[in-house]
Amino acid sequence: MIEVKHVTRTYGKKQNAFKALDDITFTIPDGASVAIIGKSGSGKSTLMHTMSGLDHPEVGEVIIDGEDILKLKQKEVDSFRSRKMSFIFQSFFIQPNETCFDNVSLPLEIANVPLSVRHEKVEQALAAVELLDKKKSRARDLSGGQKQRLAVARAIVNDPQVLFADEPTGNLDSVTGEVVEDLLFGYNKQHGATLIIVTHDPDLAAKCDIQIQIKDGNLESIIGLTPQAALGDQL
Amino acid sequence: MKIQDITKRAARSLRQAKARTLLTSLAIGVGAFTITLSLAAGAGGRNYTDQIVSANTDVRELSVTKTPATKQDGPQKYSETTASVSNALFSTDPLTQTDIATIQKLDNVVSVSPNYNPQVKYITRAGQDKYVATLSTFSPSVTLKYAAGSVTGDLSDHDIILTEEYVTALGFSSDQAAIGKTVDIVADKLSAPLTAPESQTFTYTIRGVSSKSGLAFRAQSSLLVSNSSAKMLYDYINAGTRSYNNFLLAAVQVTSADKAESVKTALAAKGYTAQTASDILGAINTFINVLQAILLGFGALAVLTSVFGIVNTQYISVLERTQQIGLMKALGMSRRDVGRLFKFEAAWIGFLGGAIGAGLAVIAGLVSNPFISKAFDLGDISLLVFNPVSVGIVIVGLILVSVGAGIMPARKASKLDPIEALRTE
Repeated sequence: MIEVKHVTRTYGKKQNAFKALDDITFTIPDGASVAIIGKSGSGKSTLMHTMSGLDHPEVGEVIIDGEDILKLKQKEVDSFRSRKMSFIFQSFFIQPNETCFDNVSLPLEIANVPLSVRHEKVEQALAAVELLDKKKSRARDLSGGQKQRLAVARAIVNDPQVLFADEPTGNLDSVTGEVVEDLLFGYNKQHGATLIIVTHDPDLAAKCDIQIQIKDGNLESIIGLTPQAALGDQL
Repeated sequence: MKIQDITKRAARSLRQAKARTLLTSLAIGVGAFTITLSLAAGAGGRNYTDQIVSANTDVRELSVTKTPATKQDGPQKYSETTASVSNALFSTDPLTQTDIATIQKLDNVVSVSPNYNPQVKYITRAGQDKYVATLSTFSPSVTLKYAAGSVTGDLSDHDIILTEEYVTALGFSSDQAAIGKTVDIVADKLSAPLTAPESQTFTYTIRGVSSKSGLAFRAQSSLLVSNSSAKMLYDYINAGTRSYNNFLLAAVQVTSADKAESVKTALAAKGYTAQTASDILGAINTFINVLQAILLGFGALAVLTSVFGIVNTQYISVLERTQQIGLMKALGMSRRDVGRLFKFEAAWIGFLGGAIGAGLAVIAGLVSNPFISKAFDLGDISLLVFNPVSVGIVIVGLILVSVGAGIMPARKASKLDPIEALRTE
């Protein structure tokens, strides 16, 4: 369960102060697929960064598995992320000069997974995205859709509980985009992991269990959640 | 993240920028090259002087002069005792027979032999040209390299050791052919009146031919006769002159090498200055050390320059890989590990530069050693001696310097904000 409570994030100072997030509160049950929808500049990316502990709002709590990750020390947040979260980005952010294997191996190395287990895990992840035959290929030689599938493999290799995807299909055509979507939802259903997709694509959002609409830093609507769940234990 | 994994990733990202890595390493390689060579030259030089001193001097021998009464600036005042061994700015009283008797009485002194160096006129052989010659005293404790013949124990009074050059000049067909043959040495009696010059021919049997050695100064130009033979020649030439039996230098034999220092102290108390073999070695080594320090200074300067190169390269690398760093941080890589990644890259650069520079230095040294030895006539002596330990220390040192240079860029990388780094717009 992910609880977001009264999160406020302000950029700039005094007169120039700009509230990217203004007192946001909601709760996401485990294993749900969630779309955070909004126009660019609405604060949806900031919300994702806050929920993953990358950004630090002035006010509020983000409670994952009963732990407020905003109160953790930097080191602990890092370790938390390496064990329980992972990311998929619009521009893939794979390392073009490295092999597919090394790209996928990175999260395991960061999480200090022993060498003996690593090999098998990487191969499983590559197999899940149907890139096992490209294991030794350089990532730069892959097509756009393959690159994003590689990014998915990297995201799921360490069995994360929460998977963040920032416009995962933004750079892909509809056919390859659909393949990536299927992979993400497949992982979400099979492993019971929470999938949080930041997008402005209504079609993609519609496939999610919950849609959270953000506008100008405010929570505009939450669809798919009971009001009680949406407001957490406030009621 | 495990050290091993960081090291691998660091090496991998360096491989991806081969040209840049290599160029940066070469800068530090220049330093490594200079430092390795100067260390080798220093070690070789000290090794060489060590061998020279042990080949030419005896550790049980002290070279003794009279201590000048007072040191003074400017020209020396004339006095009746001022010896022939003086010029306007330098003068020391000579050692007389009484001095030699005094020294002889000291504890632990075995023998005192004045430096005779008889000034003979020439050396020749029946039917051959006359050649100028310098005679020195043979010492059984000094190692000589023989081209032909050899001498065990002391020379007898009518024996001589020639050099290879004289063998050729005096018309012998080979070094071996000269052994057992005789040569004539002609000397003038200096006290004889100009109107009635007097000279005498001394005949010697060739016992050995010394070959050119990188180690021996004596063997190269001097002909060697026994001490008593030298004294005999000296007496004939100098008897009756003013400087007769006045010597600048005397060689003092002590009972054992460890007594040399105590005899030196005893001599100093009596007004004599003594130099032991280690004193001579020390003086030469000081000179070598200064030269080596200058070379090391140049090496250090090259390393300093390369430090800026490393800082620059690593800064550019951090800027270029902003997204990669952002991703790694998003995936939970700690600040410390991100910093380490860049420090390890710097370490690799240092290692590469150190290994390339030191390696090239060793190769260059090994290749040029025979040429250097030939050019300076050193025989089989190598002037560049590479010590694996010091080469290792140079490489490790350069790795540490590189890591130091990598600290600032590494800090920049570790402080990078992942959100900023991953912003795509």
